[in-house]
Amino acid sequence: MLLTVLALAGCRRVGELPVDPHQTRVARDSQAEPAAAEHEEAGPDSATDEEEVSQAAPEGPLLFVASGLVLDRRGPGGRLFEVARRTSERVGHQRTIGRKSYSIALRSENLTYYPCSSCHVPGSRIMHEQRASDVHQDIQPVHPAENNAVCTACHVVDDPEWLTIAGTDPVPLNEAYRLCAQCHFIQVQAWAGGAHGKRLDTWRGPRVVMSCTDCHNPHDPGIPTRIPFPGPRVPRTGPRQP
Amino acid sequence: MRTDRELTFEDVLRYAGAHEAQATFEAQETLLTVGRTERPEPTGSTDPDAPSACGCGGACGREDAGAGGEVGSSALDKRVDRRNALRMLFGAAAIGSQVASACTPLSGATEAEREAKLLEWEEYFKGHFKLMTAEEKAATIRRLERLTELRKGVSVGISSTDAQPGVVFGYAFNISKCQGYRNCVDACVSENNQDRNSRMQYIRIFEMEDGVVDLDHADATFQHEVPAEGHFYLGTQCFQCANPPCVPVCPVQATWQEPDGIVVVDYDWCIGCRYCLAACPYWARRFNWGPPEVPAEELNPRQHYLGNRLRKKGVVEKCTFCIQRSRAGRLPACAEACPTGARVFGNLLDPDSEIRWVLENKNVFRLKQDLNTEPRFWYFTD
Repeated sequence: MLLTVLALAGCRRVGELPVDPHQTRVARDSQAEPAAAEHEEAGPDSATDEEEVSQAAPEGPLLFVASGLVLDRRGPGGRLFEVARRTSERVGHQRTIGRKSYSIALRSENLTYYPCSSCHVPGSRIMHEQRASDVHQDIQPVHPAENNAVCTACHVVDDPEWLTIAGTDPVPLNEAYRLCAQCHFIQVQAWAGGAHGKRLDTWRGPRVVMSCTDCHNPHDPGIPTRIPFPGPRVPRTGPRQP
Repeated sequence: MRTDRELTFEDVLRYAGAHEAQATFEAQETLLTVGRTERPEPTGSTDPDAPSACGCGGACGREDAGAGGEVGSSALDKRVDRRNALRMLFGAAAIGSQVASACTPLSGATEAEREAKLLEWEEYFKGHFKLMTAEEKAATIRRLERLTELRKGVSVGISSTDAQPGVVFGYAFNISKCQGYRNCVDACVSENNQDRNSRMQYIRIFEMEDGVVDLDHADATFQHEVPAEGHFYLGTQCFQCANPPCVPVCPVQATWQEPDGIVVVDYDWCIGCRYCLAACPYWARRFNWGPPEVPAEELNPRQHYLGNRLRKKGVVEKCTFCIQRSRAGRLPACAEACPTGARVFGNLLDPDSEIRWVLENKNVFRLKQDLNTEPRFWYFTD
């Protein structure tokens, strides 16, 4: 019951977007400048799904972590740790849970074909027509199961950078967590608090977290098995080794 | 002013220069006797706690540093104790070539080798880390950095950053999320310069069947595709207990708990008795049975005196929550490398930290809670 209320509250608050994304999309189409696109994605905060939600003050178009806080993420020998390789120095919009605020790393930084508008001209309906031969052959959507292989279950037809959310206007790709939160609201709650997902770089100061889709493939969220890194020679506990 | 227990640098030089090896041996004997009969100077500015606190019988150089002011700035008039007398004896012998036969421990084929041996000799007589002054810390760090450069050909930076006020580190581990990939282990080994020869690893990832935490029947050596069906994974490392059983057993106080909760080891004070290994109920400590080997190209140059600087044969080491990273504000290597987000690290005294959120909102447990060790390492589930 409580969860239902939370979910409903989340949906309702998502609906209270201070800026109409559709309008900004139209505006972006006319400008077609990357800087403008970033401005809109970073747009005003729309905190969701938690009690005591306080609207964060609209920050600048894009938050930059102060250069002194961006620490060298390289490990020994100059190599990067696996997850650190996916981090971004530029962070997106801010959210607030209780009195804590945090920022979400820009997902679009790590997308091969971003921005989508480089191919998807608005109104061309390219998403349907070129499905058989397009560059997204590697995407085999299995999630959500009941809408298998239908891009438009989540993506806006005209502009796949925007995602469809039930009962409200579309949200940009960098706020994909709001799409996920429609069903996985418990996980998003833990993610906002800090028990799920990953914080980047530092344990103190401004908190920057990775977005859902930084780790989970939204088209195929199942976790594949793999061979682990080598284990120890001396197990110490457990059954005695011969 | 000079009494039978006070030796000056001049005396030492006379011992070193006048005779051959036999004279040197006699000098050592004399100095040892002096050291045994030595008592704290009643009129000096010596810290009365120093000899007992460092556990070395007052021979760690602290007394000398305190009394330096009263005799003036001349090095030749400086009163020396046994530790410093030995240091100066062989140091002077190595510099002056007239007693080559008496200084075989410091001889070397090349200039670099001689310098390294002299530095090692100086290192041998330094004091306990907690009793060092800022200058002494800087001096030993300079020597250690130079030694690494000479031995490994790698220029490293060793910090001795102190704990920050208002910070106590805590760790939480999500056993629902861990998939057993061992990315943390790999990152830990490369970050902390652990011995590649014995494949030393601070972290153990235990594979257990769903349903019960049973470390006695867990497998830490799994090498199949993970995650395995019907299994979950639980990682252990040093838990930085608030009541650490490994600390009071140390006979020389080479291990202690820092104000931010990290239990550290002074590798140059450890005598290798391994009492702490026996005392730790979590098997968090490791011992260097042989000289640790780290390839120069894999050496992590960002080091901390109490953390990942190069160890030597016969000393104990352990996880320090990557003290060189965490005190600089970064996440430990294991937390940063974990691809599943199972590891949460933060400041327990900060009510807005993620670790506090986990402790307040999740069901958490600790290993062997009945031992009253109060680990600062919690396990939780989704």
